[in-house]
Amino acid sequence: MHDFSKLQEAVLAGNSAAAVAAARQALSEGADPLDLVLHGISPAMAEVGRLFEAGDYFVPELLISARATKEVFVLIRPLLAKQGAQPTGRVVLGTVQGDLHDIGKNLVAALLEGGGFEVIDLGVSVSPEKFIAAVADKKAQIVGLSALLTTTLPAMKTTLDAFRSAGLRDRVKVMIGGAPVTQSFADTIGADGYGENAASAVQLARRLVGV
Amino acid sequence: MNSDDPLATESFQQLVVEPRLPEVLRFLGYPKGVFPPDPMKQSIEQVLTRALPGLEPRGTFSIYAVRAHTRRSLALGSETIAGNIGEFLHGASRVAVLVVTAGRGITELSTEAWGAGDSLAGWAFDAIGSWAAEAAADALTQQISSHLGADEGLTLRYSPGYCGMDLSQQRTIFGLTRPGSIGVSLLPSLLMQPMKSVSGLVGLGPRELVGVNLSPCDRCLQIGCHMRR
Repeated sequence: MHDFSKLQEAVLAGNSAAAVAAARQALSEGADPLDLVLHGISPAMAEVGRLFEAGDYFVPELLISARATKEVFVLIRPLLAKQGAQPTGRVVLGTVQGDLHDIGKNLVAALLEGGGFEVIDLGVSVSPEKFIAAVADKKAQIVGLSALLTTTLPAMKTTLDAFRSAGLRDRVKVMIGGAPVTQSFADTIGADGYGENAASAVQLARRLVGV
Repeated sequence: MNSDDPLATESFQQLVVEPRLPEVLRFLGYPKGVFPPDPMKQSIEQVLTRALPGLEPRGTFSIYAVRAHTRRSLALGSETIAGNIGEFLHGASRVAVLVVTAGRGITELSTEAWGAGDSLAGWAFDAIGSWAAEAAADALTQQISSHLGADEGLTLRYSPGYCGMDLSQQRTIFGLTRPGSIGVSLLPSLLMQPMKSVSGLVGLGPRELVGVNLSPCDRCLQIGCHMRR
């Protein structure tokens, strides 16, 4: 097994250049790209998540660590594709119709990409029809709905109902998040999960795709 | 003057806000008193420097005599505001209805940074915009305090969507002052444009009455809220 400690240190420090350099070196020394993900990046990001939960890391630290892993993925994704390896999962994300807030959604997107997910970001005020078309077109396993306003929460239910009407509800997991969202609300509208914060949204996404 | 008219209305096209790193860090998610290590601190300071030209803090307020109030409502001018606000502003003889904005530029900077893949800068610009809107509200509150008489004081500031005041009251607040004069509008979803804007109410009255006003934070279950007062 290759020693990925340099890569892990760089990810924990959020040092993108050092992370990419460590990944290049590991590959040049014969490390398997999939091992690099499973035994280098994944444990490092798990540690970043643990530090966040423990209150030792904050959102800015999460973001730079995720950026470092995202840049490593840019390097190794073609190699993984050659091996036939798939992304951790494919997620369609967007802020629901009527809501223009995008920071929470952007944060989740950045952390998901850092976790090896392929993210299709539809932006803000996304109609149910646009969510459905993207999920069908991209064959996404997860759709993530974001809302910041209590007045736009009903659009989450409308979107879920639209997936049911389109016969797609059983083919995609739905996760929701945003300041006014609660587990109780997620249960009420029949979502598959609720992320209390961006870091827990990534853990939820991993659970939903069975990783 | 009609009895429903405000006692005073003022608009400010250039409020003075002074960025202080500890306050900005709170909006970035750091707890009070926690500073990031140097590389991160420097990155945030650089974003703050880039953000300053994008800030356009403006504000407007109208002061009304309290026509009537109960624990669950407050009548100002021709409008009645519903919610616990009647209780929280108990003791106020007048209420200032205010709207402030940090301007559109800071949100554009954030959007550009996210689009360019610079998530840290995107997050930081957004946090700076949130801080600037709150700082503009503080600066406007200072202006409101010039309307205080002898032995009078201000209550805390309350905003729709918080403190037991439903977000729908945003419409009522917009009808009581002149947000158009500072370029702020309200979308059907009740979202303010520019997004980094704050609306709210602050009471004016005898210091011995408003000074003992209840803080809604004492009752709120969101213990970790960074806005806790």
